Amino acid sequence: MTNDAKATFTSIKNPDARTKKRNAAEKRFRAYGLLAVAVSVVALLFLLSSIWTKGSGAFYQTYLTVSVTMSAEKLDPKGNRDPDEMKKVTTIGYSKLIAQNLIDQLAANGIDTSNVSDKNIAKLLSSESAATLRNQVLADPKLVGQTQIFTFLASGRIDGYFKGRVTMESAALDNNISPAQLVIADEMKNIGILSIKFNWKFLSAPDASELRPEAAGLGVAILGSAYMMLVVLGLALPLGVAASIYLEEFATKNRWTDVIEVNVSNLAAVPSIVFGILGLAIFINIGGLPQSASIVGGLVLTLMTLPTVIISTRASLQAVPPSIRDGALAVGASKMQSVFHHVLPLAMPGIMTGTIIGVARALGETAPLLLIGMVAFVRDFPASPPSGFFDPATALPVQVYQWTQRADPAFTERASGAIIVLLGFLLVLNSVAIFLRSRFERRW
Amino acid sequence: MNNMIFLERNVEVEKNKISAQGVQVFYGENHALKDVNVDILDKTVTAFIGPSGCGKSTFLRCLNRMNDTIAGCRIVGDIRLDGEDIYEAAVDPVQLRAKVGMVFQKPNPFPKSIYDNVAYGPKIHGLSRSKAELDEIVETSLRRAALWNEVKDRLHAGATGLSGGQQQRLCIARAIATGPEVLLMDEPCSALDPIATAQVEQLIDELRSRYSVVIVTHSMQQAARVSQRTAFFHMGNLVEYGETGHIFTNPSDPRTESYITGRIG
Amino acid sequence: MNNEPHIASAFDRDLEAIQAMIVRMAGLVETSLLQAAEALETRDEELADTVREGDKVIDDLELQINTEAARMIALRAPAASDLRTALSVIKIAASLERCGDYTKNLAKRSNVLAQLSPVGGSTRSIRRIAKAVQLQLAGAIDAYIKRDYDMAVEVRNRDKDIDQMYNALFREFLTHMMEDPRNITACMHLHFIAKNIERLGDHATGIAEQVIYLITGHLPEESRPKGSLPSSATKK
Repeated sequence: MTNDAKATFTSIKNPDARTKKRNAAEKRFRAYGLLAVAVSVVALLFLLSSIWTKGSGAFYQTYLTVSVTMSAEKLDPKGNRDPDEMKKVTTIGYSKLIAQNLIDQLAANGIDTSNVSDKNIAKLLSSESAATLRNQVLADPKLVGQTQIFTFLASGRIDGYFKGRVTMESAALDNNISPAQLVIADEMKNIGILSIKFNWKFLSAPDASELRPEAAGLGVAILGSAYMMLVVLGLALPLGVAASIYLEEFATKNRWTDVIEVNVSNLAAVPSIVFGILGLAIFINIGGLPQSASIVGGLVLTLMTLPTVIISTRASLQAVPPSIRDGALAVGASKMQSVFHHVLPLAMPGIMTGTIIGVARALGETAPLLLIGMVAFVRDFPASPPSGFFDPATALPVQVYQWTQRADPAFTERASGAIIVLLGFLLVLNSVAIFLRSRFERRW
Repeated sequence: MNNMIFLERNVEVEKNKISAQGVQVFYGENHALKDVNVDILDKTVTAFIGPSGCGKSTFLRCLNRMNDTIAGCRIVGDIRLDGEDIYEAAVDPVQLRAKVGMVFQKPNPFPKSIYDNVAYGPKIHGLSRSKAELDEIVETSLRRAALWNEVKDRLHAGATGLSGGQQQRLCIARAIATGPEVLLMDEPCSALDPIATAQVEQLIDELRSRYSVVIVTHSMQQAARVSQRTAFFHMGNLVEYGETGHIFTNPSDPRTESYITGRIG
Repeated sequence: MNNEPHIASAFDRDLEAIQAMIVRMAGLVETSLLQAAEALETRDEELADTVREGDKVIDDLELQINTEAARMIALRAPAASDLRTALSVIKIAASLERCGDYTKNLAKRSNVLAQLSPVGGSTRSIRRIAKAVQLQLAGAIDAYIKRDYDMAVEVRNRDKDIDQMYNALFREFLTHMMEDPRNITACMHLHFIAKNIERLGDHATGIAEQVIYLITGHLPEESRPKGSLPSSATKK
């Protein structure tokens, strides 16, 4: 290439047309990316804020503080403090007792209750409250004859009034509440009998019937989900890791291993409801396990999570450089020693991350659980493990589904609250995954 | 022949440590190594040189059966260590590799502490009965690898924090901790800078009094500096094998001369 | 010049060995020069024969040095001062081998002169110039061992003294020949002897120049200082 002395001098300071076009294209592309990110962020914010506004109310509940004199004549006619005898007094009796005490208290505080019948005053309280008091007295008969201050749940409509669901206009049309009751509720609030407090029972109480949204809680659902996660962790992690190690390190690479590999990847993409049908057929019909039990849910979710664990374990094992294996072999380690002493510890962060992500996904699965019957209404807490695995339970996402099916608008609030709890757990699990990954990440 | 004119270390160089007869290696259909016959002497540094793809690394890996890990690799021929055929069915490669250590091209210390790196081999072979014995083995190996003074204060620090040359010397210490008799080195200095290379070469010269060393190198100059015997491989054949001074001043085979003078390869 | 040892200690050992051989060779040459001069003066034929045989050892040493230097260059690929060391060792060995040849020739002629009648005082003069040249050689080798630049320059400058001594001897022998024609044979031999010794001195200077090359990296630029030529038809 001859260097012509008279060649034209091209300045690098002024960009030519091609460079300009290229730069413009890059700028456009960057703008698109930014736009996509912005749209995603906006959508996410929208979703989160709508859930929050709908569901945050579930964490606050209206309570009534009533001083109740547990008169012996009403509660223990025979007078021998015998719980079996006292059981003959039903919740209706207790309900009347509480209502009477409330009316007296209102009168003492100067609230005029003349325009509301006694029955309607009683209805200010949740129908749960009588049952709660009865259980307490039966558990501790010494309470009879004493006067104590109790905190009872207010009824669903009252609660709704203070949360904006129920207004004076809607109350006028409502069978279950009247404006006069709402006025009294306001006055009670002014004098402090009625208060709005943080609702711990939302997380600890079991589900309640359609008529009592104020008493509905996630206790059973949380426990059921926890049991299932334990089963998934206990089964999917060892099985998945062991299968993956065998496939990756020990099996000879032939057509069979290729077939298995393809099938595992496909299984990860199978719709979860198919696993539900599988669980129903095998675990419940053939295996005879109890319906709605956490063990069945756990087993179905294990089957679902297994491909994820296998795939992420394989990826982590492949990420370990072969020089580590060579180094171990050269020093005289056997294949097993090199895998378990060197490769596995290095692959651990990736395996743990994959497992936790798999578990987090399983936590939010609803469809397979519906098919195996975990959609039942369960009021009793399952026992502690191991027998507790066989007791009927429900799961968080299923609970959300159930509550959205109910008519009372209070349950919408409950469902959104449950979604917030579910998202909270997922956030915690993913944070743990990130923490573990960054803590154990090694550079080689 | 050991060059006594240069007042070198007085080292016994008599018997054959490894003898190979008619060795051929196939990778599937590819005939990578054709009929190699060579005797590696004890307490000697033997260098394998040759252009890329000539089969020198393949042959090296036959000597400690690392080729077993490669699928589709088939070995024909006789390789004997101290007279025993290493490819016999009764031989466990794990035990063989305790006797024949290997150091690789890219330093590959385990991502553990310096102490654990060196102690791993002796531990899995059960070479020490107590912690004190293990400490001693680690110290001896690090001293022999000329690394002890640099790391004695930080034995429990991570091995990946060392420089490239130090990491390679650590890998050498790790290899000699199992008490091998032969050290195989596959281009040990190609990832190192010139000073680190010189230090490792000096180390190899010192190791010669205890171990047989076989070093594969793509640098002829390194082979000239470090070895007493040199084997020249070309296209899967062993072309010439002889005393290093002779090979580099007056080789017998014209192909050797062409390679050394930079006319082929 | 760099006095630190090489990282590869074997390299240092090679260099030391090769230089030790040069020192030994130089020592042999110096000894045989002095012995030859003594044999001339004392008309000792046995001593002269010893010198003649000793030349074989010197020749063998040169061969050995060449082989080892070639080997070192092939195996170590020396650079900079190490390379100059290897090259200068080869040249110095060649010079010393020529010096050995000269002393052998001296011894041969001394045997011949022993048969002829002595020429007054000449052998003493020969002995003097031989001693001076031996000191030159010793000085050059010393400068080589110590890598001493100043010493090497001094040796180089002293060469003109040797030349002058040779010129004086030339005139002395001329005088002897003119005085008595029967001296001509002896004086011719003596002249050749003197010439050889002067040549030996030139070689010693050459060695000093190699030392300067070794230390600085280039040969000295100015030509050697020379004593005036004893020729009647001198070219100016």
